[in-house]
Amino acid sequence: MFLLILLPGLTGCGSYNRLVTLEQNVNKKWADVQSVYQRRADLIPNLVQTVAGAANFEKSTLTEVTNARASVGQVKLDSSKAPTDAAELEKFQQAQGQLSTALSRLLVVSENYPQLRATEAFQKLQTQLEGTENRISVERNNFNAAVQEYNTALEQFPTNMLNKMFGFKSRPFFTAQPGTDKAPEVKFDFNKPPATPAPATKP
Amino acid sequence: MPTSLLARFVLAFASLVLFGANLLQAAETIPPKPAGYFNDYAGVVSKDAALRFNEQLAQFERETSNQIIVAVWSKFPSASSLDDFAQRTYQIWQPGQKGKNNGAVLFVFVEDHKMRIQTGYGLEGALPDITCDDIIRNEIAPQFRTGNYEKGFAQGIDSIFKAVRGEYKGSGKTVLDKNDKGHGGIGLLGFVIFFFILLIALRVARSRGGYRYSSMGGPFFGGWSSGGWSSSSSSGGGFSGFSGGGGFSGGGGASGSW
Repeated sequence: MFLLILLPGLTGCGSYNRLVTLEQNVNKKWADVQSVYQRRADLIPNLVQTVAGAANFEKSTLTEVTNARASVGQVKLDSSKAPTDAAELEKFQQAQGQLSTALSRLLVVSENYPQLRATEAFQKLQTQLEGTENRISVERNNFNAAVQEYNTALEQFPTNMLNKMFGFKSRPFFTAQPGTDKAPEVKFDFNKPPATPAPATKP
Repeated sequence: MPTSLLARFVLAFASLVLFGANLLQAAETIPPKPAGYFNDYAGVVSKDAALRFNEQLAQFERETSNQIIVAVWSKFPSASSLDDFAQRTYQIWQPGQKGKNNGAVLFVFVEDHKMRIQTGYGLEGALPDITCDDIIRNEIAPQFRTGNYEKGFAQGIDSIFKAVRGEYKGSGKTVLDKNDKGHGGIGLLGFVIFFFILLIALRVARSRGGYRYSSMGGPFFGGWSSGGWSSSSSSGGGFSGFSGGGGFSGGGGASGSW
């Protein structure tokens, strides 16, 4: 008789605590995601400065990066709490995706400027950018895994009865954007040849 | 009968472990945890050099607690990118101490002329991407280009040591040393349990009229204690084995080619 009352109560407490832990984990992973995106954003002024110093560098590519960086700054989400609104995350992801595209375009275009690529400053920036992109994909994956675990727990019995009681909400994922997994296509303007003829040297 | 029930349970468990491991290996392209610190699966350096590097790396863990692993294959095994492969492999091997995450792995693929230094979270400060890139570009790659792998590894390992030393303090023991210390107690208990299981298994096998299962205990436990993969090198005298401390990586490091 006791057990009949006690048992659901106990499992309820356990599930509640588990949900709280999982939710905190999602928030922590979200903070990690935010910090790697911030790391990338912090690299950009330096990158722009270095590239702008190179003679005749295509201005449009640079402007694109600067603009994308600015719009990323406008889509600020709370870094301590993972978004609950899918549209909010989508907006964030779109802005960051634009920056990714602009950046990889810039890296591709830079292959036409061997003098720029040979400078130490540029090499360092490129290494840092690549490392940051890699970290972004790692932390996004970690975040998605945390969200999945949390969302699954929300759906399961008996936790699914708690989420209405205590207002737990499922969290949206990062989705792979069409095109972002591929390097963007770059069309060169062959009427305006770059400062130095571009030999097809790859590191 | 309770004994036969237990025996069945034990056998079922053992086969589950065996088959489970097999399935995992078949499904994943991720190589299992390496036996040592310096793992030359491609055979590009001499055995002496490999042992020497291995000892250096093990000693480095004793002194600093940093776990630096080198793994050399002839061919890149995955269909995905090097960065992705390195990240996923790292998460399985887990070099670096738990909580400190102070590990790093140098991956080398000889035929592909590709390499990557992947750093754990805890070494991102001492071994930033730029430093990794510098080590690959200026210390390792030039030597590899001339075919002098031994010197490339020597310089690469040295530069990593230089960059990382001072970041953490060691306890004078590797993770495996510590585990082995506990082995004295657990080892005896394990031995008793193992004997018990063997006895039951033998009895069951006999009652079924065959020794089919009795041989199972042998290779299973034997493979376990030697650490799996490259058992050929692990039996050498004075070889320091590697056991991951539970470190994680956030994708730090740099890739390069030669």
